[in-house]
Amino acid sequence: MGSVATVAALDGAIARVERRYGSRALARGASFERRSDEGVLRTGTAFDRIAGGVPTGAPCAFVGTGACGKLALALRAVAAAQRDGAHVMWVDPTASLDAVAASHAGVDLDRLLVVRTRRREDALTSAAAALRSGGFRLVALDTGPGLLASSVRADDVAPLVPLVRGSAAALVVVTDQAPRRLALLTFRFERVAWERELGRTTGWTFRVAGARGAEALFHARSYPRTLLDLGVRGELLEASA
Amino acid sequence: MKVFAVARTAQAASDAARQRALDALHTALPRVGVLDRGVYACDLRGTRRLLGAPLEVARRIVELCERAGATCAIGVGPGTFVARVLADQTPLGETRELAMDARAFLAPLPVATLPLDPRIVDELALMGIRDVAGFAALDRGSVLDRLGRAAAAAHALASGMDDLPVHGVPPRRRIRAGRRFDDAIGSKEQLVFALRVLADTVADRLRADGLAALRLVLHAEREDAPALRLERVLLPPAAEPAALVRSLRWALDELPHRSFVSAGTPGDRHALGRIEAAAIEAVEVEPLRGRQLGLFAPDGAHAEEAIAVAQHLRGRLGAGAVLRARVQSPDARLPEREVEWTEVVA
Repeated sequence: MGSVATVAALDGAIARVERRYGSRALARGASFERRSDEGVLRTGTAFDRIAGGVPTGAPCAFVGTGACGKLALALRAVAAAQRDGAHVMWVDPTASLDAVAASHAGVDLDRLLVVRTRRREDALTSAAAALRSGGFRLVALDTGPGLLASSVRADDVAPLVPLVRGSAAALVVVTDQAPRRLALLTFRFERVAWERELGRTTGWTFRVAGARGAEALFHARSYPRTLLDLGVRGELLEASA
Repeated sequence: MKVFAVARTAQAASDAARQRALDALHTALPRVGVLDRGVYACDLRGTRRLLGAPLEVARRIVELCERAGATCAIGVGPGTFVARVLADQTPLGETRELAMDARAFLAPLPVATLPLDPRIVDELALMGIRDVAGFAALDRGSVLDRLGRAAAAAHALASGMDDLPVHGVPPRRRIRAGRRFDDAIGSKEQLVFALRVLADTVADRLRADGLAALRLVLHAEREDAPALRLERVLLPPAAEPAALVRSLRWALDELPHRSFVSAGTPGDRHALGRIEAAAIEAVEVEPLRGRQLGLFAPDGAHAEEAIAVAQHLRGRLGAGAVLRARVQSPDARLPEREVEWTEVVA
């Protein structure tokens, strides 16, 4: 409880807002206990052990160069978001979403809306509309390789941040370049090694770095298109010791 | 005793005048139905004691319609069909009551007066039947067998058996909430915040009557510009305040932006101008439908919002922008044959 003057000032501010906009403009929020699992989307992989899951109510970025597994893990996040019947929007300016890989990752394609736009403004508008509507549990924005000046960059999602904050939705930005001006929770993806068979590339191993240096390892196979969870690096080292 | 009055408004009357006439009839009579555009049926059964003789009621209906701006002709008869035929024959501004038997009245009229398919009218003409009397003289069973159910119903009308009920339409409801602001609003976000309060009021009234808004209109009075009127169709129809506000926000987003003149101004300048007062009105409503609760799929209850967003984006971004994938042949040699992409909203 604040001082009498603070309370009086607050009452005055509330009265001014209600006088201008009506008696129902403000409502007191009811206190409630938020369950620990409501704030994250659990992918069911080692990523959950290093990061707790994909956070909801806050934007996050999957950053890494091409073919480093960020899309594969993002698709797992989509599948996790759809677990309770939710819809997901995938904003795909470069039209590069692999629907077969999504299907292999457990994504229900009927509840995945893919928005293909050319313009940066349209991509951000689509994501904003989805976040405001409350109808999507996760909005994924795949910025693509960022080769053009008109490509979407991670810093461009700044207008979306207030829309995500406090909502039950997650915003995942899949990008090649980390944001420079915007403070986003960032997970860095790095390819560790290629897998080759008979002179052909059949897969690759990549790692995801979380907070406090913990790393989750995955192996992506080209055929069939699957993602193998190799566990957390520290755990592997302990197991092999 | 069955008594019906059918009011036929002038063809030149505007839709607004016709609607006003219908609203006026709703205020005066217990059951009013719409037979056609500008043709209204009034069930006068049981009203003699309270409202007077049918012809007197008909004259008052004419006065009501004229005050609403729509001149009409009234026919009064023992059935809606006969009353309508009578109204068609009556000059505008006058009333007429059927003074003879319905069958006898219809007898000399051409067979095309009945609600028959033109092909059946031609077929009857080939059989030498050109008036209602000749048609009524046919055996009903034969008419049903040869010409079908619709012709059999028309045969019943020709025989004076007019049991068509008046399906009363509910009176138009004006669900509106408005507010005048002490200080003019110059920002879109402030306006959306103010509209939340009005949307709550409109939503409460909709839900109290078991209705959902199908079409919303936003009226805004502006200091420095003509009044603004934005209309939105809500698909699906909704009575949730969040859905009403979302739809209005999209309407405001579609207004053209103005470029900035001075640096440092916030990024919200708009073609709105300065709003002095705003009102939301649900101009078209329909009964509220049930909604999936999502008992077993908690997040599945938001499917309607997802589809509404898809429709909005399709309208904004054009065809081919909002898609859904279907894996056709995962082992296909060509990638383009693996997946079929279809529009979420056609």
